[in-house]
Amino acid sequence: MKILLPFHLNKVGAGFPSPATDYVEDDIDLNAHLIKNIPSTFLIRVQGKSMNNVGIHDGDVLIVDKSLDPKKFSTVIVNINEELVVKTFIKEKNQSFLTSGSKEIKDKINLSDNPEILIWGVVTYVIHAL
Amino acid sequence: MHYSKNKIALVDCNSFYVSCERLFNPSIDKKPVVVLSSNDGCVISRSTEAKVLGIKMGEPYFKVKKIVKENNVKIFSTNFPLYGDISRRVMKTLRQFAPQMEIYSIDEAFLDLSSIKDQDLLEHGYEIRKTILKWTGIPTSIGIAKTKTLSKTANYIAKKEKSGVIDLVNSKQIDEILSRVKINDVWGVGHQLTKFYIKNGINTACDLKNMHNGWIKKNTSVFGSRTAMELKGISCISLEPNEGKRKSCCVSRSFGRKVVKLEDLNEAVTTHCLNAAEKIRLEEQTVKKITVFIRTSPFQVNQGYYSNSKSIELAIRTNDSIILVKKVLSILKSIYKKGYQYQKTGVIFSDLKDFDVYNKNLFSTINNEEKRIKLMKAIDCTNIKYGHNALSIAQAGLKKKFNIKKQHASKIDTACFNFLPTVRTT
Repeated sequence: MKILLPFHLNKVGAGFPSPATDYVEDDIDLNAHLIKNIPSTFLIRVQGKSMNNVGIHDGDVLIVDKSLDPKKFSTVIVNINEELVVKTFIKEKNQSFLTSGSKEIKDKINLSDNPEILIWGVVTYVIHAL
Repeated sequence: MHYSKNKIALVDCNSFYVSCERLFNPSIDKKPVVVLSSNDGCVISRSTEAKVLGIKMGEPYFKVKKIVKENNVKIFSTNFPLYGDISRRVMKTLRQFAPQMEIYSIDEAFLDLSSIKDQDLLEHGYEIRKTILKWTGIPTSIGIAKTKTLSKTANYIAKKEKSGVIDLVNSKQIDEILSRVKINDVWGVGHQLTKFYIKNGINTACDLKNMHNGWIKKNTSVFGSRTAMELKGISCISLEPNEGKRKSCCVSRSFGRKVVKLEDLNEAVTTHCLNAAEKIRLEEQTVKKITVFIRTSPFQVNQGYYSNSKSIELAIRTNDSIILVKKVLSILKSIYKKGYQYQKTGVIFSDLKDFDVYNKNLFSTINNEEKRIKLMKAIDCTNIKYGHNALSIAQAGLKKKFNIKKQHASKIDTACFNFLPTVRTT
């Protein structure tokens, strides 16, 4: 009859136990840190270069939370002319604007002049490959 | 303050598949849109604008092609990975509004609202609707009432109201509202029962509700009287928040082209059987009854119509792909007839039960059960890791000749990194 005995690969320590064993934690879970509200959070890929100056590049993946309302200087996904696009949302003196992250005034879209423009969601993080 | 005992909400997503397609494609907002069943066969979801054009639910595509062309109706093939992910998001969001809920289908759920004060029900309904729309982008309609059947009926009316929410618990005009629902649109009233009711002068939900208990008992089956009692506000169908382990599992597909040969049908049926077996193994279930069906197209009668199905009961419950495929193929062989152009085939596993480790029998060791369980596990893990059908059995065929036609499918999957939706920067 064969009896199987467990074989320990680790050396059995006879000395002082490692003080780090009290601090063993799970692996980092990026989802838990980057996604606050799971059912309302979508990953969306970026196409185009005109938001480069705010750190959003062609091919990046945006983490977008639909449940949030935009604050001053939020990056947002908006529905403009039947298309979803990325914009910067700016609030000043009770007025809201959208820009492409550029400083030029001519790019500014005043939201009160364009009530048909709807905010789709708020970008919370950018995933950018280096 | 007043609490009624039973309060149930039915939340139903409006034109669900169309709404999913619209989520990342605002260019089809406010336009007529339809989604076609697999193989671009029938209309299975319509936007309000498409309904107005007279496109009916379930109509075959070729019958509506003219309306589609003349009105520039946007058509989509099904994209179930997307619909499944959006459905999960809707259900997850709903969960915070009720201690118990029953997911009734991909786009419907019953919620137990018994803990909400009567006078707050309508407001609660609006809050649910607003949150689902904001978080997931999906519009819904909500019917709230004392029974499931009434909440279904309320939902039917809510779909036609701008507010999208109907509360029958506090309503003083229940009869008025129920009289707007035709008897055949009442949940649980089928084709035959409708005929019988109309013959007896029952034309609306209200008519049935106001029938005498004695008449109902005498003239209808258990199910029929259950529906009638529920319309009267007496709860007979309870919420089933079991998180539904399925009781049966059906995998069926239409072919991309007509199939004549038995060996091609063998391939298709084997693939369906393997898919179904994988599904029940994931839920740790076993099957007792197997059904196989085949049929030709009901729309090409001139080439001869043939439809048949057959079921067998297994002596020993199993979820072993190899055993199941053998059984399924022998059933197929017995119902296959030469000379027909087959359009659809499917496999149904029913009488499913949880896998029981102690459910051993005399032949367990002979059949090498332990080894087979390990083999099935290995197959499932490989397929989860390397994609569907990475590991299969040879009978399923190497290249799928009968693959599904999906001419108009959106190539978005919100749950798959390689097929994420895109936005432009401008």
